[in-house]
Amino acid sequence: MSFLIAQSLINGIILGTLYLLMAIGFTLAFGVMRIVNFAHGEFYMIGAFCALIGVTWLGLPFPVTLALTIAVAILFGALVERVVFRPFRNDELSGMIASLGLAMILQHGALILFGPDPQAFPAIVTGVFKWGSLIVPKSRALALGIGIVILLIFYLFLMHTRHGRALRALVQDQEIAAVFGVRLEIMYALGLGFGVALAAVAGGLMAPLFGVSPFIGATPLLKAFIVVILGGLGSIPGAALAAILLGLIESFTSSFVSASAADIVTFALVIVVLLVRPAGLLGRAET
Amino acid sequence: MHSDLSVRNLVVNYGPVRALHGVSFDVPEGQVAALVGSNGAGKSTILKSICGLLKPIEGEIRVGDKIMSPRPGDPLRHGVALSPEGRRLFGRLSVEENLMMGAYTVRDKAARDQMLDRVFVYFPKLKERRRQMAGSLSGGEQQMCAIGRALMVQPRVLLLDEPSLGIAPIIVAELATIIQEISRDLSMTVLLVEQNAQMALSIAETGVVLETGKVVLTGTGHELLASPEVRAAYLGT
Ligand SMILES: Nc1ncnc2c1ncn2[C@@H]1O[C@H](COP(=O)(O)OP(=O)(O)OP(=O)(O)O)[C@@H](O)[C@H]1O
Ligand SMILES: [Mg+2]
Repeated sequence: MSFLIAQSLINGIILGTLYLLMAIGFTLAFGVMRIVNFAHGEFYMIGAFCALIGVTWLGLPFPVTLALTIAVAILFGALVERVVFRPFRNDELSGMIASLGLAMILQHGALILFGPDPQAFPAIVTGVFKWGSLIVPKSRALALGIGIVILLIFYLFLMHTRHGRALRALVQDQEIAAVFGVRLEIMYALGLGFGVALAAVAGGLMAPLFGVSPFIGATPLLKAFIVVILGGLGSIPGAALAAILLGLIESFTSSFVSASAADIVTFALVIVVLLVRPAGLLGRAET
Repeated sequence: MHSDLSVRNLVVNYGPVRALHGVSFDVPEGQVAALVGSNGAGKSTILKSICGLLKPIEGEIRVGDKIMSPRPGDPLRHGVALSPEGRRLFGRLSVEENLMMGAYTVRDKAARDQMLDRVFVYFPKLKERRRQMAGSLSGGEQQMCAIGRALMVQPRVLLLDEPSLGIAPIIVAELATIIQEISRDLSMTVLLVEQNAQMALSIAETGVVLETGKVVLTGTGHELLASPEVRAAYLGT
């Protein structure tokens, strides 16, 4: 029993890390540009394909592949911001529709390039870590470790650098940030680029565990949505709390009840939170 | 004495509605000037235009001999800083982070640290609370933080929009003294917008009275305080 609890705890934290990587970019796009980005799941899918191409086609080591994925994703995010989102910033409805269009283009583009079939991803590491009866596959431990390191780096950027501070300030009051010399055009590109990179890294990290296909973006997008609603739209600490909570709830419910019960519990929780705290766990009401 | 901030024939619209009908005035270098007027007279509109947040239809704003272009960030480069109406701090950033946002364009760390020390001398409360979220400060402390944030760029022209708004009278008096001190010590030009005309005109060397988007009176602070029109309209005497 205690073994099952420990196992669920670890799986929950792995899921939570994945959800948080997804949710940060989603909430950042909203916080910075007021865009509800339905294409966010496709960035996860693109990250997974980038990793697949790097590892199997180009034969690069996994860490190098991930680094390249991040670089490509930041550039791609900045491009998407400039070409697709910027005309619609602060226009929530049009921005949402533009992002839906972008999602379709990306997904069908991947379908044309790679076909609909799931592609196997070669194992990066094999074997398991064992502590007594507790078993964690090394591949999961690796994904968790890298995920946490990347989240930490992003946290340090956000909290302790000049541009990170400007990004947080901008989310709260764009006009005043601009008066003090923050260049909004650059920050939009930066915010979206980093958000896309985090989603792409999530895709690259999870590809060896869950495989790759043009359709894998849907679930992570849904989870990012749930996390961001639970945590409060635009709030990164809220997203962190909600992501870990969601991961733990899912993994405990599927271990002790069943996987479909996990979905029911999750959505019940979303409804309850929205009823009791419409702005989310750590969100503020819109003024 | 030549003027440091000069506003010429400023015309600003909100959509089809005209808010400023050709406003002109000058603020001499190193002085405190008060801009007073009732609700909706257009005071904030003038400040927003000066710092590039609104695009005038007509008119010109100069700082020294430079013409400001109507983009936020450009007036800042020429030494204009704003403490906005309602303070508008970054509520979930700490006090120190808010001040550092003021110095966002100051790349020289020594200059930033020196200015931070200065701000803490004027507002010791901010030093005590430097790690606290700005949103959790009292109204008076938030106002100090907003003025401090604007000071961090070492501006040549400091724009203060209603620093007395929603603040206890005793703190207003304290703020008034500090504003005077700042202008004197740093030989800074200050444009002080106020509904509290008594406070503003008593610390200002010059004053401008605005009514529905037009300048109706100008003079020294003392002249305006003594003028019957001002007394009747803004001081209730
Ligand atoms: N964003 C806006 N859109 C439309 N009209 C506006 C806007 N902001 C201000 N106005 C109008 O422009 C006029 C001038 O407003 P402004 O805020 O400059 O006045 P003010 O003198 O600062 O008043 P207060 O003392 O209340 O701050 C008012 O009639 C106001 O209703
Ligand atoms: Mg005003």
